[in-house]
Amino acid sequence: MSKTSIFYVVLLVIGAFGAFIIDTTQKEPFEKVQPCDLIDIISQTNKYVTTDELARKIMADDPTILLVDLRSKTEYDKYSLTGAINIPLESLADEKYKDVLDQNVRTIILYSNSSDLAVKAWTLTSRLSYKNVFILKGGLNRWVETILKPTEPKETALRTEFETYSFRKAASSYFGGGSTVGAPTIKKKASLPIKRKKKSAAGGGCD
Amino acid sequence: MEDKSKKFMNPYLAGILIGVFMVAAYYFSGEGLGASGALKSVVVASVDAVNHDYASNASFFKARVGGEHSPAKTWLVFEVLGVIAGAIISAAFAGRLKIEIGKSPKITNKKRLIYALIGGILFGIGSQLGRGCTSGMVMSGMGVLSLSGFIGLIAIFGGGYMIAYFFRKIWI
Amino acid sequence: MGPLFPQELISEEINILIGFFIGIGFGFLLEAAGFTNTRKLAGVFYGYDFVVLKVFFSAAITAAIIMFFLNHFGIMDISLTFYPKTYWIPTLIGGLIMAFGFIIGGFCPGTSVCAAVTGKIDAMIFVGGALIGIFGYAFTYDSVWKELRGSGAMGKVNIAEWMGMSDGLFILLLTVIAAVAFFAVSIIQKKVVASTNYKL
Repeated sequence: MSKTSIFYVVLLVIGAFGAFIIDTTQKEPFEKVQPCDLIDIISQTNKYVTTDELARKIMADDPTILLVDLRSKTEYDKYSLTGAINIPLESLADEKYKDVLDQNVRTIILYSNSSDLAVKAWTLTSRLSYKNVFILKGGLNRWVETILKPTEPKETALRTEFETYSFRKAASSYFGGGSTVGAPTIKKKASLPIKRKKKSAAGGGCD
Repeated sequence: MEDKSKKFMNPYLAGILIGVFMVAAYYFSGEGLGASGALKSVVVASVDAVNHDYASNASFFKARVGGEHSPAKTWLVFEVLGVIAGAIISAAFAGRLKIEIGKSPKITNKKRLIYALIGGILFGIGSQLGRGCTSGMVMSGMGVLSLSGFIGLIAIFGGGYMIAYFFRKIWI
Repeated sequence: MGPLFPQELISEEINILIGFFIGIGFGFLLEAAGFTNTRKLAGVFYGYDFVVLKVFFSAAITAAIIMFFLNHFGIMDISLTFYPKTYWIPTLIGGLIMAFGFIIGGFCPGTSVCAAVTGKIDAMIFVGGALIGIFGYAFTYDSVWKELRGSGAMGKVNIAEWMGMSDGLFILLLTVIAAVAFFAVSIIQKKVVASTNYKL
């Protein structure tokens, strides 16, 4: 075999080795974000949405938000926020939710009873490089404390606190506040958003 | 040293480059390099032109006929037109554009042409049954690691080796 | 992310145009490698010219390697391409018929077209024969071929998966086997050419 031919064949063998090595050493897709970057991402503090902010968005009928209830189906059915969809934490990485979560259009707000589950979920979605994902700070517990059953500030409190309280009182009646048992009738059962344009395989060939 | 004419490209280089073009075909169009599909389109289009009703009903033609455009307007047909152009260009550069018949000195021209006809007919049938020819089914199929490509490979080349001895006079 | 056309990222016109240009490249390379010469093509079966084997496997391996990388790094999604379905029975039988066609006719459709347009009369006849064959097949399709053609359906099968190994491993094995074959055939070719005094 001539030198050039040998060169080409060796080139192919090297290429094949490369493919083999990559195939056996690199697992995907959970390696999308490197650990050191992850620390930076987790340290960001602007990953939270407060209950007040969320209440405002819902009352303003903000179409860009997507609420994700991370708890079990039973808990979700008993009570959930208006328009929230249910994706239990353990199913968060499932293929069927990928199109819903991995997108740039809507703002996803994760919530659970407190912040714990939501933070775990948020770490997962960061690892998967999903964008626009936020955590409801304090979760449903805080939602109840602040929005559904806001506590009246003491007379010595600051004016801003009174303003917040008035807002919360208004929100409370909007959300049918006072109780978490017996879901308010304005709650609309949300279904998973429409999938993006369906990708179908190519036709053609000698078939 | 290998006896190869200086005018032919190194086969490994040619293969690698063809591989690159194949990837491009898959990347842009989602299809592999092929040929027999284009011949089929020609057949479908001509039958359609002659007798549209028959073509719309016969199951072989049905799927390809009656759309917005002619059954000949397929990616493969244009790719083959390109193949024609490319072959002419290359042959022109290498001085290989000439009318001739390729065969061994041991048989006559007439015999060779008859064999070419028979061989062509067989390939026409075989490629339809096998869903492709060597380029489209086997080469492109192997490129995407499809089992069908490898079955085709074994069938065509394995089969070829088995019967080659009986037809050796045509070639050597 | 590719493939572009199946996801409607490029228009049909552009797609066809690209097909044309890719075809030019393919045709050029086929001719440059000598595939318009029917004796060179048949040589792989007789040992005096293994160009078919060399080009074939180099092309398939190159494509497989490159597409493996593209698929792995998310640049292209192979499952969206025209991935052939495996019908092992008609493919096997069709392949055997094609083998006869190759040995007797000396061409395959792609090379016959290349050769026909560069002046080879036998290639022109071959193309004509292929068209006749397809005509014949078409008109007897319902009665003769339909059932056979649909038999042995296995769906879209990836050979690496079918053999129980990863894509990368399969590609590596294939490449190594091919490399060994390349070395082997270059020796065989020298011997055969010497002993039969084969001249192009």
